[in-house]
Amino acid sequence: MGKIKKLNSTARMREIMLGYYFQGRQTEINGWVTSGAPVEFLYAMDIYPVYPENHGALIGASKLGTHFSSFAEEKGFSQDLCSYARCDIGSVFAGTSPVGGLPKPDFLFACNNICNTVVKWYEVLSRIFKVPLFILDIPFVRKELKESYVDYVENQLYDFIDFLEKIKGESFDESRFRKVLKLSVEGVESYRDVLHMGRNRPSPLTCFDAFLNMAPIVCLRGTQQPLEFYRSMKEELDERVKRGIAAVDDEKHRLLWDNIPVWYRLRWFSEFFAERRTCMVADTYTNAWTGLIKTGTGDLLGAVAETYIGIYLNIGLEEMAETINKLIDLYDVDGVVIHSNRSCKPYSFGQYEIQKMLSVPSIVVEADMTDQRAFSEAQIEQRLDAFLEILD
Amino acid sequence: MEKVGYFCTFTPKELIRAAGFLPVRVLARNDSVSLANTHIQSYCCSQVRGSLERMLNGELRFQGVVFTRSCDSLMRLADIWDRNSEMKVFSMEFPTKIDHRAKEFLIEEFYSLKETLENWSGREIDEKNLSESIRIYSELENLLKKLFEIEPDYHLILNAETETPEEVIRLLRLRFEEIRSKKERKKDDTIKKALVTGSVCPIPEVMELIRDTGFRIIDDLCTGSRFFTTFTKKKIPDTMDELMDFLAEKYLKKAPCPTKNYPEDGRFKYLIEKAEDVDAVIFLLLKFCEPHFFDYPQLKEKFEEMGKKTLLIELEFPISTEQLRTRLEAFYEMLEE
Repeated sequence: MGKIKKLNSTARMREIMLGYYFQGRQTEINGWVTSGAPVEFLYAMDIYPVYPENHGALIGASKLGTHFSSFAEEKGFSQDLCSYARCDIGSVFAGTSPVGGLPKPDFLFACNNICNTVVKWYEVLSRIFKVPLFILDIPFVRKELKESYVDYVENQLYDFIDFLEKIKGESFDESRFRKVLKLSVEGVESYRDVLHMGRNRPSPLTCFDAFLNMAPIVCLRGTQQPLEFYRSMKEELDERVKRGIAAVDDEKHRLLWDNIPVWYRLRWFSEFFAERRTCMVADTYTNAWTGLIKTGTGDLLGAVAETYIGIYLNIGLEEMAETINKLIDLYDVDGVVIHSNRSCKPYSFGQYEIQKMLSVPSIVVEADMTDQRAFSEAQIEQRLDAFLEILD
Repeated sequence: MEKVGYFCTFTPKELIRAAGFLPVRVLARNDSVSLANTHIQSYCCSQVRGSLERMLNGELRFQGVVFTRSCDSLMRLADIWDRNSEMKVFSMEFPTKIDHRAKEFLIEEFYSLKETLENWSGREIDEKNLSESIRIYSELENLLKKLFEIEPDYHLILNAETETPEEVIRLLRLRFEEIRSKKERKKDDTIKKALVTGSVCPIPEVMELIRDTGFRIIDDLCTGSRFFTTFTKKKIPDTMDELMDFLAEKYLKKAPCPTKNYPEDGRFKYLIEKAEDVDAVIFLLLKFCEPHFFDYPQLKEKFEEMGKKTLLIELEFPISTEQLRTRLEAFYEMLEE
């Protein structure tokens, strides 16, 4: 029986996130933001960012995805819509959630570099809460990044600063912003160092540990907290390596996960692979948060614009496959498990093409990140077992 | 004439034609798919899956295809298409956020498309052929608008999307003569007006079913009035820069689509106004179409506040017309009560 070895850091992470959610009730002004949005602007103005996507993941991990979705579905939101959105909108109608619901927003900030879904989702929220919505419109880069794209986004960043200044009634402080960006970069670096621990053979962590512990880099990026947290998490992993403790005993196979996790089955997947001496050492989802903002040069907002345009989901399939192949080399994996996620079209459509471009074997399993109804245990188990057999 | 395919009505077909191609809208058929299954998942809409199927089975003979930024599914389809066909593929961005920044950005994109099309055809797009192209399409659009005010015709609109504008203009003129020669039509009190709003529905039979049930259709479909409705009335200018500016304005002022974000909730306002004197609203949505399905619950609520009854029809091809007929009849009867 494969035992899951819990990291002490995960308990620390829970404390940090509890503090984060608690803080949300006390702040004067908050904005709901999407996971791929440049949150640094908010932290630079002491505006508390609320993450409905993280909230969705939390609801999913609590196995309440279907429950909270149903509140949205009763109001006419289709079961085919993104389940993060359904959970979030559903918890608004329900007036609660595992963390007691999110604080009512003062404004909404959606950046479509991760999907066009967030634009629609935030439009829905803006009609419910009757608060201003700022859309940061990011051109999709299927082939090459054009200068006009960077200009377009940079101009909108100036508009966004005006927008925030009006909301907050204070002017934007560039030196403060630079400090936040520096913290953001350092936080991302320390997070990346943690993920890179998966390169060890055997690996001291699984991607399920990475999923569980990703909330600070998403929600608190630009503050001191991720920096300290991921440094201590790295120490714990270093210690494991030193003492020869592997995340999965007798690590035989090393795999890479593609797409958002199946939040309500993290434990199930962990145990499934551990039992089969297989370590899921890394994934494309958490690695998407390791892009660094190049802050060195003069045109600061241009650099910010370029970073947020270039994120993983906003590029073409060939570049995505190239990125995965780099991860395959970096983590030295034997195969890829591809989660075809009913909730996330831009992440999932094209996976069959990506498969053909990968340097190692891969398998597609169909599920949903938060909605348990889309999970067929027997089918997935059978597919994964057949796949592992090929790798043997 | 060589053809260039396009998907989204926000694609400036005027440029495609000016480069010497016939712009042809790629639309799914009322069939199930088989080949497409190994390239895209089943939780994708029928328009995307069905169009891909047509490409894979060799039905489409295009020099190239233009993908215009609209929804996530089409965004990914561009790469899938590119990897599985010999056709040239170009992706054009269209701003999602329709505000004061949109036009400058869009004009840049139009210039890139222009350059690409010129490379494809080896023919220069100049002021002369572009203004002629703009002129003929605006003539076509005006005629379609006039016809839809009298009575929508979903065969003619399909022609307009896939054939030369000259030919469709000829057909439209014939139709107007027919209409004129008919006697004054009697007002039928049993006819109910329904706003039919939704995504792509390239199947005229569906629309005929709605009409046969007893509805007069006020159209807001992507394959209906949104194909030709724009709110500019400017004169066609002379220089290339002015022509591009003219085109950008034309497409930014098109009838609103849920893949775009409009100031002041522009799409809702537009539809609420359109629904003012209808008896009912029929949502005709492709299953899995996120942009439409996110708008649906709150739009429905607005219509209900206006006292309108609504019906949601989810489309997945092939369509069972019998089932659809039953639902439409039940809805019509409910309105009678």
